[in-house]
Amino acid sequence: MKIDLITLATPFFILAVILEIVLARFARTTTHYEAKDTMTSLGMGLGSQVFGLLTAGLVIAATLWVWQHRIFTIPMTAWWAWVAIFFLEDLVYYWFHRLSHERRFWWAAHVNHHSSQHYNLSTALRQTWTGGVNGSWLLWLPLAFVGFPPPMIAIEKSVSLIYQFWIHTEAIRRLPTPLEYVLNTPSHHRVHHARNPRYLDSNYAGILIVWDRMFGTFVAEDEAEPPRYGIVKNLGDFNIIRAAFHEWVGIAQDIARDPRHTLGYLFGPPGWSPDGSRQTSDQIKAAWRARQPSLASGSDNPIAPRAASRR
Amino acid sequence: MTPAYIIQTLVSFLAILMLVGIAWWAKIARHAPDLDEASARALIADEFPDHAVGAVWVAADHRSALARSGDEALIVYRAGDGYVARSTPWVRLAEGRPGKGGVALKLADFTAPRARFTLAEGATWPPASLGDAP
Repeated sequence: MKIDLITLATPFFILAVILEIVLARFARTTTHYEAKDTMTSLGMGLGSQVFGLLTAGLVIAATLWVWQHRIFTIPMTAWWAWVAIFFLEDLVYYWFHRLSHERRFWWAAHVNHHSSQHYNLSTALRQTWTGGVNGSWLLWLPLAFVGFPPPMIAIEKSVSLIYQFWIHTEAIRRLPTPLEYVLNTPSHHRVHHARNPRYLDSNYAGILIVWDRMFGTFVAEDEAEPPRYGIVKNLGDFNIIRAAFHEWVGIAQDIARDPRHTLGYLFGPPGWSPDGSRQTSDQIKAAWRARQPSLASGSDNPIAPRAASRR
Repeated sequence: MTPAYIIQTLVSFLAILMLVGIAWWAKIARHAPDLDEASARALIADEFPDHAVGAVWVAADHRSALARSGDEALIVYRAGDGYVARSTPWVRLAEGRPGKGGVALKLADFTAPRARFTLAEGATWPPASLGDAP
């Protein structure tokens, strides 16, 4: 049985993007779209589907092989099995996502999702082209080993991906408090996409924000400091090839320049360098914290979004 | 790769063109005001919070700006409706040759290969107001 919820959801994605643009056009939301940025985001989405084919066979074969050596046999027809995989897959996603931000080898594949300076529904579709080659899919194999059937795992991964589409928006400010406490929401995910030092490396959740609360990575959106989107060093243009591969190129250049530190460049945190000439997220946040007492007033930067304009 | 997959991919590509067209039609890009010295200074301060900055130079088209911090040149320039910031050794500014319309400066950075600065008629490069290259 071929299960492709993503393809089924694609018309919904398209209609939702159109709706968000039209609402913004008629000033019903403060969402922004820049045509070239949108082209890059949507092109990345299409490209990820094509590049995904290159490793799909390997991922499926490995999952089936592990499942053949499973500990238990979990039926797809049992309600409790769906409840269990909902939580377990979401937990796996949390750690996959955290790894994808905190270690450069995996960040290289994930960074393109964060490379837009915009935060709208097209950003959700700015997906990786190289996620299959860095082996992050291995993290889901224990679910097959425990005994969850591969189609069940595939469905739950798709559910998570589809859920995460709609939270890439500025059109929705806050959900009711109980939902904000439990679910990953547009507010929580805006923080995740922000490059403000205080927001870096936070809110890794897929569907449930409770994992971030449990593991200490939750940061609430502060209305006084609206997120500025993108990456620490934003890309200089909208070249889709640059967006897809730039961190891999950076790794290769670093290793070629100083091969003694290959492991550090590959598996250290993004921004790591042996001489400390660059900054990791932790160092950026530490420097930001150290500056706080001296910040008597807000920024005069006219480019930065204004808190008042968001209300 | 089946015919159905190829058709699906082509239809997806057409859908992308349609959505980009709608985004262009809507004209809902962020308002990125032209830079003046105050706004350029604020932008540079946000992007390089640990750098002491003296004078700030703004390009003639108000789309890029430059400041000096010791031996470093701090650069901001517009990309789409946002801004990009990079630093480069000050001495490398001399490698930028003024040509028609301004200076294209190579940044030796794959993520931002070059910055462009529009010069006013008769202006020097590097900007004299920031001091000579050491």
